[in-house]
Amino acid sequence: MNTATGTLSLQDKLNILADAAKYDVACTSSGSSRRGKKGHLGNAVSAGICHSFSSDGRCISLLKILLSNECIFNCRYCINRSDNDRPRATFTPEEICTLVVEFYRRNYIEGLFLSSGVVKSPAHTMELMYQTIYLLRTRYRFNGYIHAKAIPGAPEELIFRTGCLVDRMSVNIELPTKEALHRLAPHKNPENLVRPMRQIQQGIAGQRLALGKDTRMERSRNNRYLEHSIFQENPYRVLSEKQPTTALFTKSSLSVGPEGMPDAAASGLFATSPPPVSPEGMPDTAASGFSVQTPRPARRIPDFLLDGSSSFVPAGQSTQMIIGASGETDLELLSVTQRLYQQYDLKRVFFSAYVPLNEDAALPALHTAPPLLREHRLYQADWLLRYYGFHADELLSKDRPNFNILIDPKCDWALRHLEQFPVEIQTASYASLLRVPGIGVKSARRIMQARRHGSLSFTDLKKMRVVLKRAQYFITCGGKMLYHIPIEEDFITRRLTGEQAAGNWEISHPQTYRQLSLFDDFHIDGDVTVEDSAKTISGQL
Amino acid sequence: MITVFTCADQFDDMMTCVYDAWASRLGHANVRLLTEPLGTPELFCTYRHVDAQPEKAASVVRTIRQKISSRAVQMVYRTAMAEQEEKLDVIYRFLILGFHLGTSVTDYLQHPSVMRLLELERTVANEAHYFKEFLRFSSLENRVLVGHIEPKSNVLTLLAPHFADRLPSENWMIIDDRRRLAVVHPADRDYYLTPLSPEEFQTLSREPDDTFVHLWKGFFHHIGICQRRNSRCQRTMLPLWYRKNMTEFR
Repeated sequence: MNTATGTLSLQDKLNILADAAKYDVACTSSGSSRRGKKGHLGNAVSAGICHSFSSDGRCISLLKILLSNECIFNCRYCINRSDNDRPRATFTPEEICTLVVEFYRRNYIEGLFLSSGVVKSPAHTMELMYQTIYLLRTRYRFNGYIHAKAIPGAPEELIFRTGCLVDRMSVNIELPTKEALHRLAPHKNPENLVRPMRQIQQGIAGQRLALGKDTRMERSRNNRYLEHSIFQENPYRVLSEKQPTTALFTKSSLSVGPEGMPDAAASGLFATSPPPVSPEGMPDTAASGFSVQTPRPARRIPDFLLDGSSSFVPAGQSTQMIIGASGETDLELLSVTQRLYQQYDLKRVFFSAYVPLNEDAALPALHTAPPLLREHRLYQADWLLRYYGFHADELLSKDRPNFNILIDPKCDWALRHLEQFPVEIQTASYASLLRVPGIGVKSARRIMQARRHGSLSFTDLKKMRVVLKRAQYFITCGGKMLYHIPIEEDFITRRLTGEQAAGNWEISHPQTYRQLSLFDDFHIDGDVTVEDSAKTISGQL
Repeated sequence: MITVFTCADQFDDMMTCVYDAWASRLGHANVRLLTEPLGTPELFCTYRHVDAQPEKAASVVRTIRQKISSRAVQMVYRTAMAEQEEKLDVIYRFLILGFHLGTSVTDYLQHPSVMRLLELERTVANEAHYFKEFLRFSSLENRVLVGHIEPKSNVLTLLAPHFADRLPSENWMIIDDRRRLAVVHPADRDYYLTPLSPEEFQTLSREPDDTFVHLWKGFFHHIGICQRRNSRCQRTMLPLWYRKNMTEFR
């Protein structure tokens, strides 16, 4: 398999492996905040920094590459499936480190996103990734952001060691249902996907407990003011809070997860027996940092774990799901999303509109357009879950399992709940302000801030960046609406869809703009006959 | 009769100008503050130039911190970096209200003078953030990093702390091409702000040839998904105006 590697230049390798990595959507550098250190390179900013935007308008924040695009798996949808005849390449750890450091110095990137095809075996691949990241953090003294993929099926110890060096880890579940996974990714075992996720979650929770914090990761600070958000009303909360605690103090946990999946992840993580020491004195299961029963001798623990500046996956974990490849509904996707936030405490769930790359009977045809507008609606709904206190079952139901393509999810919800509107700006609670279409997290905060000191007018709201063209149907200022508007579902729907139509069309047709043509668009063609000309003269046509 | 207090476009000068305008006891309605260079002079105005006096400037900053808050000092500083010529007057009007209301003045979003200050501050802060993202360094032969920007607002002093934290052990400088100013950071030492002479500017303007530039351009080209091509979205996120000095667009 390695025949071509020797002849490829660094430029060729970078191009091949960037090409292979680009279908992964996660390219965020947020969630981690770390000061710079003298002698080291880099820091991490909690809001994340995008350094460029590629021709498809997606942000480039990290150097997104695969370690290798050689893969023994044959997932139907993937460009790197083993059946495909594509140029294959593999980076050496030094090449990746040089690229990251030199790009970072020039302010091209915020850090590294490292994923890989499965070379030989998951364990071998994860070992290669770990060595690369270890080299980058130690010899190259890189202190910036690193996002690493956990390869499903890799040994727990390796995933744990990697987690101690990186900011974020992710496992892509790709498809929301087991059947779809079985059909399209026959080599992937759903249990193998869930296990590393559970393991990372417990690692994070364990360390947070050791630091005296709550086991759940911090969410947007504004969520504190929402009583009914998915994070406050979490049916899995009790369950998952117990798990890390028991795992900390028992040798192995055999608890069963809520969906009946065996949950053996903790056994390797917090085992009491001393784990084997690796030859180069690499951090042997840095679990010692958290384990109460077996404090390791200080010289064994590498200094980058001791100085308090590094911790286990501080920016949390994320995942991604492909949409439009397996016929799942928006309701299924959004319920899975909500469960991932609640049960596995994920920081982000990404959606990726399926881009047809392979010809396969099980997949949409090659020239199907990617469902970009659907992806956009799902992201809007995802934000409603995380910042606006909505639940998946409020936005969608069994009778309406898909989003209205014409109108955004929040407007759609508001139109079905007109009995809750209009809302009075002076007195409404923060939670109900957030539910008004056109008012976002920032403008709601501004309203709360300013109304304590005096009344607000529509002009003031406009200055606070409330989008009045949507909000005007749902709010009153001092008891009055902006215009005389009947609160009727049909009327408001008509007004709102008219405004959004142009924007929607642009999202779903990013590169096809042309002038409207009567003849092409309405099929007025066919030859002009003699009779037609006669009719035009006589005025019949 | 309106008295216009004018001063150079520097933070110390501006704070001294605020001090003098306040101490002139002409009445807030009868004074206006402007930064130089002045546009067309108006009739029925007397112009009074003010030079920087560090003690007066320090005293204004101290008063803002005591009577309002340190957050207000930060807001005033950022607003002072804006390019709009009415900025100094906006600051003055904000301070009149602020010294009257105290800490809570930053919550009065419905008051025009507070809102105007916040708008200007937001413009400057957003632009500074854009340059944190889009600034590109080129590495000279001796591994010194040089980055050029042409910002509308004077964002150099807002950028420098970010890069000083990020690249503490590198030699780097950021050059504001419009104002011929530079922030210079020697490795492991503090950075400083300095004006550049035309010769220095010339030598620092040439582009070094670098293999990583080609690697980056190749990466940038390959990372975009052609089936999702959307240059309009790209222009929204990364306006053409910021692309002047960016490696991948040259």
